[in-house]
This record gives sequence, structure tokens and C-alpha cells, in this order.
Amino acid sequence: MGRKAKFDETKKVKKGPGRKARKQPDPVFKKELLEDDTETKKLTHRQKQRAAKRAKKKADLIEKKKSLKLAKKNVAKQNEKVISEEIADASDEENVKGFTDDNKQWLKPKQKAKPKKQESESEEADSGHEESEMEQDSDAADEEEEEGVKTDGEKYKVGTLDDLFQDSDQENGDVTSEDEGQASAKMDYNSDSSEEKSDDDDEEDKDDDDMLPIEKANIKLKKKQKLEKKLADEEMQLNIAKQDVFAFPSEEELENPTSLQDVHQRIKDVVTVLSDFNRLKEEGRSRCEYTDLLLKDLCTYYSYNEFLMEVLMQIFPVQELVEFLEASEIARPVTIRTNSLKTRRRDLAQALINRGVNLDPVGKWSKVGLVVYSSTVPIGATPEYLAGHYILQGASSFLPVMALAPQENERILDMCAAPGGKASHIAAIMKNTGALFANDANKERTKAVVGNFHRLGVVNAVVCNYDGRQFPDVIKGFDRVLLDAPCTGTGVIAKDPSVKTTKDQKDIQRCFNLQRQLLLAAIDCCNAKSSTGGYIVYSTCSILPEENEWVVNYALKRRNVKLVPTGLDFGTEGFVKYRQHRFHPSLKLTRRFYPHTHNMDGFFVAKLKKFSNVIPEPFKDEDDEEEAEKKETTETAQNGESESENVTTDSKQDIKNTSVKRSIESTNPTTEPQKKKNKPDIQKRPETTANNENQQIKKNKKKRNRKNKNKQNSDTAGSKQNTSQNGAAKNEQTSQKTTKVNKKDKKGNEDSPKPQQPAKQSPGKKPNKVNKNPPTTQNPTQNKNEGKITNKVEIEASKKLKNKFNKKKKQIGQIKGDKDKGNPKQGVNKKFKKK
Amino acid sequence: MKVLSEERTRILFEKLTKYIGVNVKLLIDRPDGTYCFREKKDRVYYISEKLLHLAQTVKPDNLIAAGTCFGKFTKTNKFRLHITALTYIAPYAPFKIWVKPSAEQQFLYGHHIIKSGLGRITENTPKHQGVVVQTMSDIPIGFGVAARTTAECRSADPLATIVFHQADIGEYIRSEDTLT
Amino acid sequence: MEIVNEILDREQKKAEKYKPIIVDKHLEVEFDIGTLLAYDSNDLDTKLLNSNTDEYLQSLARDNTQLLLNKVWELPTERIEEAIVVRLPPPTTVLPRAKPVPKPRPLTKWEEFAKAKGINKKKKDKLQWDEQLQKWVPLFGFKKAAAEKEKNWLIEVPQNVDPMTDMYEKKASEKSEKVAKNELQRLKNIARARKVKIPRVGLPVTSDKASANQLATAATVAKASTASLGKFQDKLPKEKEARGKGVHELIPGKERKRKAPIPTPQAEKEHNLNVLDNILNKRPKIDMDKAVARHINTEQIQ
Repeated sequence: MGRKAKFDETKKVKKGPGRKARKQPDPVFKKELLEDDTETKKLTHRQKQRAAKRAKKKADLIEKKKSLKLAKKNVAKQNEKVISEEIADASDEENVKGFTDDNKQWLKPKQKAKPKKQESESEEADSGHEESEMEQDSDAADEEEEEGVKTDGEKYKVGTLDDLFQDSDQENGDVTSEDEGQASAKMDYNSDSSEEKSDDDDEEDKDDDDMLPIEKANIKLKKKQKLEKKLADEEMQLNIAKQDVFAFPSEEELENPTSLQDVHQRIKDVVTVLSDFNRLKEEGRSRCEYTDLLLKDLCTYYSYNEFLMEVLMQIFPVQELVEFLEASEIARPVTIRTNSLKTRRRDLAQALINRGVNLDPVGKWSKVGLVVYSSTVPIGATPEYLAGHYILQGASSFLPVMALAPQENERILDMCAAPGGKASHIAAIMKNTGALFANDANKERTKAVVGNFHRLGVVNAVVCNYDGRQFPDVIKGFDRVLLDAPCTGTGVIAKDPSVKTTKDQKDIQRCFNLQRQLLLAAIDCCNAKSSTGGYIVYSTCSILPEENEWVVNYALKRRNVKLVPTGLDFGTEGFVKYRQHRFHPSLKLTRRFYPHTHNMDGFFVAKLKKFSNVIPEPFKDEDDEEEAEKKETTETAQNGESESENVTTDSKQDIKNTSVKRSIESTNPTTEPQKKKNKPDIQKRPETTANNENQQIKKNKKKRNRKNKNKQNSDTAGSKQNTSQNGAAKNEQTSQKTTKVNKKDKKGNEDSPKPQQPAKQSPGKKPNKVNKNPPTTQNPTQNKNEGKITNKVEIEASKKLKNKFNKKKKQIGQIKGDKDKGNPKQGVNKKFKKK
Repeated sequence: MKVLSEERTRILFEKLTKYIGVNVKLLIDRPDGTYCFREKKDRVYYISEKLLHLAQTVKPDNLIAAGTCFGKFTKTNKFRLHITALTYIAPYAPFKIWVKPSAEQQFLYGHHIIKSGLGRITENTPKHQGVVVQTMSDIPIGFGVAARTTAECRSADPLATIVFHQADIGEYIRSEDTLT
Repeated sequence: MEIVNEILDREQKKAEKYKPIIVDKHLEVEFDIGTLLAYDSNDLDTKLLNSNTDEYLQSLARDNTQLLLNKVWELPTERIEEAIVVRLPPPTTVLPRAKPVPKPRPLTKWEEFAKAKGINKKKKDKLQWDEQLQKWVPLFGFKKAAAEKEKNWLIEVPQNVDPMTDMYEKKASEKSEKVAKNELQRLKNIARARKVKIPRVGLPVTSDKASANQLATAATVAKASTASLGKFQDKLPKEKEARGKGVHELIPGKERKRKAPIPTPQAEKEHNLNVLDNILNKRPKIDMDKAVARHINTEQIQ
């Protein structure tokens, strides 16, 4: 040390002024001392702890502040309410009033708006005021404006539209004969409403009985004020937009949008135009232009990206779409689920009410749900919450578990469990018996599962962290499996508005590919032979059919499962057709829930029953297009039943062709490359040896025979018919064709009827084909009995069958014939053209 | 999931007996099936034999938790009971203490219980006895160690600590990550 | 005429000596006058090149040089002190760097700290007015030292200090310590910048400075270091074996234990109950507090 220290005699250190660093170079370090700079220093355990503590402290502080603010706000709100009821927000009041124990009313709070208005109207009538023409006009306009929120029948809406139309006519001074018609329409409407009105009045009266006269007067006064205000607003609007018919905006207008109000107005206008297009359209404008305009406006007004909006437009009719979008802007009410392991709903409700929480039962359909309207304490931090008496959970999250209907002492799997709400619900229903596997792919999120389970007192659970797709390799044989698949979240836009702008085709594709794999894995995990179960429930919080019906449909084709009723007595039916897709008709048994109709998050629930543990041969069809070539192994289910062996041997000969054939039969409007494949295939078929053919024919017949026996099992009579019909058609065809078909029949454990259809199909044909799936899927089990059937029986059966087919030949033969003629030619033509 | 070593079993039982005394026997000797203690990453789980068999199919790396976590062994080989054990401790604990509603929140934030927050206490609670803390409506909200005997509590001044805080259900929120 | 011819001849000879300043090239030669660079993209005449290489190359070089100079002459010239000078334009060719761009010097610990805290360096005046000496004194250097010496011809020994201390010596040692510390910090900064592991400064662990863990390990190892691997050594009450990372390997005779087989549920239950019985049946400790309290109580009653 020291400035001019000479560590090394050979080196001369400069003397004189100047910076040290210049005079004396840096010391030389030994090599072993030099560290790898690639390695970043790990924090010690203590340091980590300290850091975590710090972070937590910060978070706590923020939370505290928030809760304090919230509490203050709540207190302020209450004060406001108590002091001056008049100031209280009308909508607020509506909310509180709207929720009662009654299920329906809670589910459809939106409809509340209507009775109210009618009330006001009735009041007008009561007071004996002869409202002027003008006022009626505005009333009508008012209704027109609110119609976006209404869920009533079409008639009603159309009526109001007419009103508007005519009103404008009147303003122009033209009194036409139409006017009278309109008046009558109005009358109709009024009479309708008067009925409802009386109902409502009854209720009102009941309420009124409890009120003091001053209060009554107060309410009346308020109503009047509201009405006046509304009228004034309407007048203003009418003045602003005194357009008779909606004029299609010019290019300039489109390029320079003035304000959101204008856009909103335009949306409303376009919706009205679209609802009665023939009458209200502008000359020379196509429907396309209007929808495009609407799409653009909706995107700007609700700030969605165009892709998502387009998809939504395909799901909903225009008016419902607007309702959905509106509903997606509003947060759903907070719901909690009582933990039946620790307390009862009544006790919990009492305890929470004592803490200043305003709540109600969620509805008749659930015995454990509670809706929280307002609370003076943070609902997620009460001692009851911490003691595990309840959990915060959306109402929609109850549904899949209710559909799953777990029983005691079962072994159940929740494949995507985090944060453990549904899984703990399952455990609660099982009363902590049996075994519950809660799996989640995200290790961080499993911590939440563990925390929730312990808090709620779930002791029969195993929490694990696997990719759901690998779960069948870990453990199988579950009695029930719940798969709440990760999704795009289009049903919970209110919760996470980022969905609006961030999702595109790729995201959706990624999602449904994952969902398909997960669903297949879930089905594989399930044990069909379970005495109590064998059920799989598939749910998502998305409303896109790609992620729901399509995925289920995919699984129906690939595994021995069938759809069963979910056991939920509300919700709308699942789609059977969507755009170019035609799904299995049993998809009606699935349930969809929408924010605007059920006042819960958008949700989809499907319940599947597994009826055989055999995994059918994998094949390729339209659904596989997006998927990588990855295929399930041809191996049969782990159980290794003898019949599975049979199946494989049977089908082995044809395995080669299967994948190609299936692709031909793809229900999609077939793409070009598939058509090309088609041809060589047809040529191949005749090559099979005659020997084979004979055998196959025999087997085929046997099978069909059994199929007929199994009628009861198959879901619909219609599907059965289809199979036989198809069979008939087949018989008519050339011998070549029959051999081909037979081959297919044998091979297809899963959906042998499919191949019977001609190579190219119009999308409309799809349902037929899919229909046949369930009955044929049972083939493997039937194979078992094959040996027992004597030759005699066989022959007899085949004869009978032939007779049957002959009867039906004609009907379908015609259709088929047409197609057969048409298709190959087309294919050839196209080929030529291409060349 | 390892079997606890002899030493660790002893340490665990010593800790448990502090809270529930001879009732530990009831945990081991249950009529509704055999239950056992297993250790994973220093954490001790109380799990039924049946569930354990199923849980063993899961790879150790992928197994997060099974059954109920009772607590963990510290690096100094002491056992620390976690709040998650409350499900089993609360019903068996012979000594309990009830806190007033006003003091609940204090306790749930991890503070000791002082005399002014004391609602009720089991008679003859000895010093340094493990006690379960309950609200006045009999909801168990945690456990601690008695700082004074019941007799001493009577004469203690309002700010004196009655129970040392050990664990409370607020930890479910405060330290979810480190709980299990 | 002869004279004329003579002169012409001479001139011609002279001209022959110099080559022409005009050079024809098939392709234009590219120039970068800033670096005096000419780039000839014409093909070489292979025949000539092979036959007489040197001459050909020389002539080629000359021609190109001539072209380059022609270009130079096109620039505006100046006359400075009888020499004709040309100002070259800035070069257009970018020359590649031989070495990488130097990295900025890593910040020292203080600089880092100052940056984080937003402390700006204040420039101090090199000279400071000294009230006592009534003159300007530099911040450092021999003049500063001289000034100090002049000022401190006498240093008072403070009240709280041993009166026999040499204040000059003390001051000197303080100064040298300061210098040493500064040097140490400089080295540390360099080491940090180069990511060098600095060996810990200080003495090796001795028995009086060892941690409890180290001592326990040492004790355990010592105990096991007998012919019978410590099997017959007595144990102190409450004595614990050292445990921790790497300790097990130090103890002689300790081998990696095989995992005990998983006991059957029945056996495990029995075992657990045994352990529990042992714990519960421990002789009750004499509770001194309780005894004293009871005693006082009885006394009071009496």
C-alpha cells in the first residue's frame, strides 16, 4: 500500500504529479480469483426472506390503504343514503331492489328496467294526465333507446321500431293510413304491458303497505322527476338527431368520428336498420355495408379489436350482441360460496350480516351460494373468511361442480385446479371422503390451491403440479374428472378487459388445441368402469364455440364418450352448428351461460360419460388440420381388455389407409389437397383381395345387427335410422364401393358409419354423420361376444338386415346417387382447371 | 414423502403435546382408518394411509402437498406448527382462550393478545401452555402460548400480554407462499 | 536549322524522360483524396504480368499515382512560405477499428452510491484562504504540508487524552491510515470491476473465535476420532451431535446410511404410540413458579 509502494522491484513507478491510476497500473490478480461473470450472485435465504418481507409490507400497506378508502367510501355511501334518499342514485336502488331470493329475478336483473318504466306509465295514466302526442313520441323513442338492454321477444322490439318510424312520419306532417296501423300496434303493446303492469302493481302495493304516506309521496315525486328528466333528455336527443331514416354516413364522416355519443347513436341506428332491413335500408346499400359499419363502430365504442368483434358477431344476432357487449362492461355481483365443511349457509349469512355485509342467497339452484351487494368490511379478509367458512367464487364457477355431481368416497380429479375454488367445492360435496387430486400446470398457482384447501379444511386432497396432458401417465382410473380448461376468457371480459384487444386467431387456436389435448387427457384419466361415475365435465369461461362445442365434438369423435345432460336446469343450449361447422346433435345437452341473460360470467359446461376404456384408433380429419402431426398412440386403454386386442387385429389391415380416408370424409368443405388425396384412395380400394372382402362383409353385417340391438343405448332414434339408411345406400353402390365401406366399418371402432358417406360432402350433411358416432362406438365391447354367436344366428341376422335395407334403399339412394355422380366429376374438373 | 426419523417424530410429538396433550393419541389411533405423518421438504403432512398410497404415484418433484400440513422443521431442527394444523388442533385442545371482537383484528395481524382483549380463558391454564385462540362465537382463529396462568391474568394490568402469538389465520393471506 | 533541330531533339529527349501525365484507363479509377487512396478496378494484363512482372507493376503503379496526383492538382492550392499546399477534403473511406471500442470504466462504489443518491461532485477551489496564516493555501501538495507544519507548531493535548501521547505522531499515523484505507478502497474497486473474488481479510479461525457450529463440529469429530470411532465415549447431558451441511462427511466412521424401509402402517402406528408414551410419561418437572406461588398462598392464608 502507499502511493508509491514498489511491490515489484523491476517495475519503476513514476514520480511527480498526476493521477495515481496513470502512474501505477492496476494490480494483476491470480487467475483462480477471477470469477465467472456469467454467474449472478444468488440471494441468501435470509436475504430472500427479507426481500419477501419488504415486498409484502409494501403490498400490505397498499391494501390497507385501499381497504381504508373503500371502507370510507362505503360509510360515506351509507350516510348519503340515510340522509338524503332523494340523492341516491336510481340505478343503485335498482340494483339492490333487483336481487331477491328468487332465482329468476336475480338471473335477469336487466329486465327490471322495463317494469319500472311501465310503472311510470301507469302512473301517468292514473293521474289522468292526457299526455300530448309529443310525449308519447318521446316515450317511444325512449323505449327504442333502451331496447338494447331488453331481452324480450322480437315483436315488442319491432313494435317500438315502428313507433319511431311512424313518429318521424308524423313530424313530417304526413298522416298516412299506416298511422292507424301503428296506433293499433301501440294499443296491442299497451294491452300487453297492462297485464304485466298489474302484476307489478301488486308487488308495488305490497311494498306500499309497509310505507308511510310521506314515503309514498316521496317516491311518487321522485318518479315524476325522473320521468320529466327523461322526457327532457329525449327531446334534446330528438332535436339533435332529427333524422327520419338512418342515413348511411359518408366516407368523410367515417374517417373523422366526432364523438363517442355519435358513434353510440349510430350503432343504435344501424341495429334498428338491421332489424328490419328491407324497410329501413338506404337504397343501393347492401347488408354487408351496414354490418361492416356496425362492426367498426362497435370496435371503437367498446374498444374491441376487430377480430374478436367479428367472432362475436357470428355468435350473437346483432341485438343480442349489443346486450352482451353492454353486459360485459359491467362487473358481475360478488358471490361467495359457503364452505359446507365448516358451516351452514344460514349461520354464515347471519355472521356476515352482523359484520355489516348486505347479502342474499344466490338463487334456488344453489344451496351454498350467496350474493354480496355491499359490505362495510373487506369481504376477503373477515375472520369468517380466514377461518374458511366461505370462499369468494363467481356464481358461474359453481356450475361445473354441480354438473360433476361428485359422490362420497369417489376418486376425483380436477385437472386445472388453481386457485382451488372448484376443487374445494368438490371436496365439500364429498364431505372430505374419498380422494381429490387437484392438479395445476403452474407451480406458483398451486400455492394458492394449497392455501385455500387448508383454509377451507379440505384434508382429502393431493395437490400436484403436472402439465394436464401428461396426467394420464401419472395416474388413471378416476371416477370423475373436472376439466376447467384454460381459455381466452371471452366470457369474463368484465373481469379482464384486456381480452378485448389482445386476443386474435392465433391465441384462440392455441387455446383450443391445448383444450383438446387436455380434454382427451381428462377422458383418459377417467375410468369408464367405475360403478358410480365415469363422468367428465368440461367447462370454460369462454363463449367461443371454437373453445367449447368444437372441442367437445372433437373428443366425441376420438374417445368412447357421449354427452349426458348436465343437470343444470337453466342456461342456453350449446350450438349444434356454427359457421361452417356442424356438430354432433347431442351437443344440445351442453349448457352456455351469458352475462346478459344469466347475470353471471360467460360460461360453458359439458358433461361427458365415458362408456369404454378403449382408446379408438387415431385418425385424421378436419379437426386435425391445425394440430401438429402428433398422434395418440394406437395402443388401447391400459386395462388391456381382450376385446381391445380383437379390435386391433381386426383393423390392422386397414390401419394404413385409415388416416387418409378419414381426411377425405372430413366434414369441412373439403380443401383442395384433401380432394387430391381422395382419388388415389378410391383407386386403392378395389385392390383388396376378394377373400378379405367376404369376411369383411360378414362382419359388417354382424355389427350392424348388433347395432340395431343397441338401439336403446344410442342417444336418438334418428341416428339409428341414419346408420341404416346409409347402409342401404351403400348396398346400392358398386361392389367396389361396398368393399371399401366394409373395410371402413370394421376398422372404425369409433365412428365407422362416417366412412360410409361419399367422399365429398356438403357441410349440411355433417350432422347425419356425427349422429352415428355413439352407437357404433360400442363395437369393441360387442366384439367380445363375437365368438359366441353361432353361424346360424349370423345368417339369419344378415338376412333380416338385408330386408330392412332394401326397404329404405330408395329414399337415400337417390340422394346418394346424386352426390356420387357429382363429386368425382367435380374433383376431376378442378384438377384439370388447376393444370 | 419420507417417514419421519425417530428424532423428528419425537420433536413433532413434543410440540403437539404442548397444545393438545394426550389427545395426540387420538390423531394417531383413529377409528376411521390409519393416519400417519410424512415429511416432504422439511414439512410434515398428516395424511390418511389410503390417500398416501395414491399420492405416492405422483413424482416427488411434482407433488406440492397432500393431506394436511402440520408445520415444518426449521434449519435448527425445531418444529414449528403452522396455522394449517388448526383444523386438527382446535377440536382437541384442552386449553382455550376467547378474544373480544375488538381484539380479533389485532390478533389476526400477528400481535400478541393483551389483557384488554381477553374475553374468556380456560380455568387452570398453566404458564407456557399452548392454547387455541377463538373468537367469542367459537371460531378458532389461531393458537399461541399462554404468557400467564389464569390466576395471574385476573390481576394483570390491561396492557399485559396474556398470550404470545404463534400462528393465526391471517397468515393465510399474509404468508400464503411460505405456509406450505 | 541545325540549331533548331538540336533544340527540338533535346526537348524531345527531355520529354521522353518523363512519361505523359495523361493516362488512359478502361474503367475509371476510384479515388478517396482524403486518404490519398486510389482504387483501380481494371483487370491486370496477365500476359505482361507473367512475362515481366516488376516492370508491369511499376508502370501500373506509376499510372495510378499519376492519376491520383492529377486529382490532387485539381484541388485549390495555396502558397504557404514558398510551398504549394493543398488542403485535402475529409476522407470518405471508413477505416475499420483495429480494437474494440473501449468500455466505459465501471463505477466505483462511491460513484455508484452517489449516482443512486443523486449526489453531484462539487468542484473545490484549488486554493483556500487560510485565516490563521493570512494567505492562500493549496488543497494538497508540499505547500499544504508546509502550511500545516507552520500552523501546527504546537498541538494541544486534549483533556480526555493521555497527556503523554505524542500528538504529532498520532496525526501522522492517522494520515497514513487514511492513505492506506484509500489504497485499499482503490484496490477493492478494481477488484469489483474485474469481478475478482477477494480473499477474506483477517486472521484464520482460532478456537476463541470459532462459531458454535464450528466448535460443535470439531467436538463431534474429536469424539469420533478414537479407535472404536467414539462408540464408548461418554455423552454429556443434553449433548447434541453436530449436524448440517458437510458435517456428516467429516465425522470418521460415518457412512451414508441406507434408507430405512417404510414401515407398515400398523408398525408405524405402534412406534408412534411408543414415542408418544415416552414423551407423556416423562417425570414431571418441578414447577418452581407454581411451588413458590402455592407457598406464598398458603402463607397468606395463615
